Amino acid sequence: METFVQLVVNGLGKGAVYALLALGFVVIFKATEVVNFAHGSLVLVGGYLVYALKDSMGWIGAAVVGIVSAALAGLVLERLLAGARNADHNGLALLTIGVDVIITEEIVRRIGADIPFIGDPYDSQPIQIAGLTIFRTQSIALVVGAVLITAFFLAFRFSSWGVAMRAQAENREAAALMGIRSSRVTATAWLVAGALAGVAVLFMATQDFSGAGLGRGTHAIALIAFPAAILGGLDSTAGAVVGGLVVGLTEALSAQYISFEFSKSAVFLVMLLVLVIRPSGLFGTKELSRV
Amino acid sequence: MILRRKAGRSALIAGALASTLVLAACGSTADNQPGGTTGAGGVKTDKGVTDSTITLGIMGDTTGVFKNLGAAINAGNSIWAEDVNAAGGICNRQIKIEIVDHGYKADTAKTLYPQLEPKVLGMVQLLGSPVLAALKQNLIDDNLTAAPASWSSEILNNPNIMMIGTTYDLEIIDGLAYLQQEGLIKEGDTIGHIYIDGEYGGNGLKGSKFYAEKHGLTVKESKITSTDSDLTNIVTGLRGDGVKAIVLTTTPGQSASALAANQALGLNVPVLGNNPTFDPALLQSPAANALGNLYVAASSPPFSSKTPKAVEVAAKYKQKYAGAPLNAGLHVGYVEGLVWQAVLTKACESGDLTRVGVQKALTSLSSVKTDDLVAELDYSSPGTPPTRGVYIAKVDPAAEGGLTEVAPLFTAPDAEGYKAPHQKG
Repeated sequence: METFVQLVVNGLGKGAVYALLALGFVVIFKATEVVNFAHGSLVLVGGYLVYALKDSMGWIGAAVVGIVSAALAGLVLERLLAGARNADHNGLALLTIGVDVIITEEIVRRIGADIPFIGDPYDSQPIQIAGLTIFRTQSIALVVGAVLITAFFLAFRFSSWGVAMRAQAENREAAALMGIRSSRVTATAWLVAGALAGVAVLFMATQDFSGAGLGRGTHAIALIAFPAAILGGLDSTAGAVVGGLVVGLTEALSAQYISFEFSKSAVFLVMLLVLVIRPSGLFGTKELSRV
Repeated sequence: MILRRKAGRSALIAGALASTLVLAACGSTADNQPGGTTGAGGVKTDKGVTDSTITLGIMGDTTGVFKNLGAAINAGNSIWAEDVNAAGGICNRQIKIEIVDHGYKADTAKTLYPQLEPKVLGMVQLLGSPVLAALKQNLIDDNLTAAPASWSSEILNNPNIMMIGTTYDLEIIDGLAYLQQEGLIKEGDTIGHIYIDGEYGGNGLKGSKFYAEKHGLTVKESKITSTDSDLTNIVTGLRGDGVKAIVLTTTPGQSASALAANQALGLNVPVLGNNPTFDPALLQSPAANALGNLYVAASSPPFSSKTPKAVEVAAKYKQKYAGAPLNAGLHVGYVEGLVWQAVLTKACESGDLTRVGVQKALTSLSSVKTDDLVAELDYSSPGTPPTRGVYIAKVDPAAEGGLTEVAPLFTAPDAEGYKAPHQKG
């Protein structure tokens, strides 16, 4: 039982970070219907700046620069996609793959032989509570994730940007006819997704979370969040959160109760099962066609 | 007329056959068959040897997962070559080293091998189990003798392998014997073994299974791949299984993850690792404070060893490679050179510095001494590990190279009785 509870704690902690990443996918998909395969490279942009600047300007300053830069990188990517305005959504998704490869390779080249850890203030400082080990990195990620996700939900529900985005997601043309500036909504979505990637990487390149520093592995982890977004429902923000937690728990529990090897494919198996039963994901909008 | 046509066709077929035979001869490994030319000093030579030089190759890793270890091994090889050359060389020839970096990728190694092979007599270092597996047939086809920076006893069925030191299975047997002797584990205990799927991990696991069978231990196995980095969930499971020790046959980064989880989860059991599991760079990682439970079993002494030859080589290294990583790879590289030196000297005495001559010289050596950089080596029984002794070192941030020797070169009785996979008799 103790092992089970510890695994649940491990899984939920990881799930919080997966949720932050999945939310980034969902925000962009809701605003633009484009699947952003370059999310992993936004993660690396933020992480690389933290690594490059933390010695000179302190961890907090570097973290702020990293988050802002990842957000701006998202905006630049949005402008790039806006330039290809005549391409369909699938074409734009493929474009993001190309951008992802370019950015990732450049950052991996810059990092070179180092595999830097960037969670200085909290990494490898576990807390023991009633026989349970709480990893500080994951617990802070859980709190930060909860705050950001709540803020996002509130903004989504009550701010004019949120209303505009929901309207655009519902019906792009009708929203435009109602005077909603599509480009502004879209740009904001990419900014938010980039910032979420910048926050997530602060927890990803740590001993506690991944056991590895910033590098190609960090990028690979960002892609594990992809099933989280899909099984939650690509257009559902609540689904992203649930999907993240499901992925974290699936990884942890299947590693123990089936096998560690299986745990890597278990996440994708769960995603497939969910999609077979609910093709739009757990919370995704069902597609209806009126004839 | 008909006859003439038949004769013409026969001539055509005969011509085609002759051409085929000529082409086949060109494409065969005729170059690698016993033979060669006689060079300076009346010594027979073929590839990689001129009248003034003997060229040896390195296929190492200075950019992949074992880059720090690989860089130090390369340095050890080079320092040995400089020492030999300063003393007049071998067989009146200077040692020259050609280096390529495969980054611990077998496919890259496959591409690099054909470029390196024609230039060298043999390889003073061939790093990595996956690389070795990929090049196994090439080495056999080319009669190329290689000293692997990889210590799996599974590869001893390859006659071209010049194993330097103890194999992974024996490292674990000796290491577990040490833990038991120190009272850290006892008969009937449960231990965990986390290992990389493949020759490296599989060979380490053979050692723990053998020792477990002899001492009534239960082994909880966890197979991982070389790219896995977070072992927290595995260690959580091992804690639930009540393990009294964990054995690692992993990369250094994976060791750090297992050690960090071992401490964070309050398990705090001793951890035994094969020689590649530790890298002093880990002492700069967030897991630094959790490394103290790690014991490393290795054929070569740690960097900080007081073994006189180790001290001498370490001093040269620090002078020539200031700022370079300090790890046990240095001594591994130097001792690879020392064994090659013994083999080349023997081959020279026999008047045959060809690749075949090198192989004959190797199997004729039954006692190669290396000033205790590894235990005495016996190559006269192909398939059998040339030695079974190890040093045990423990992580110590204050020691140069991050490891302190806690047990001098020894061979456990169980290791003496272990039959390696390709051992005859």
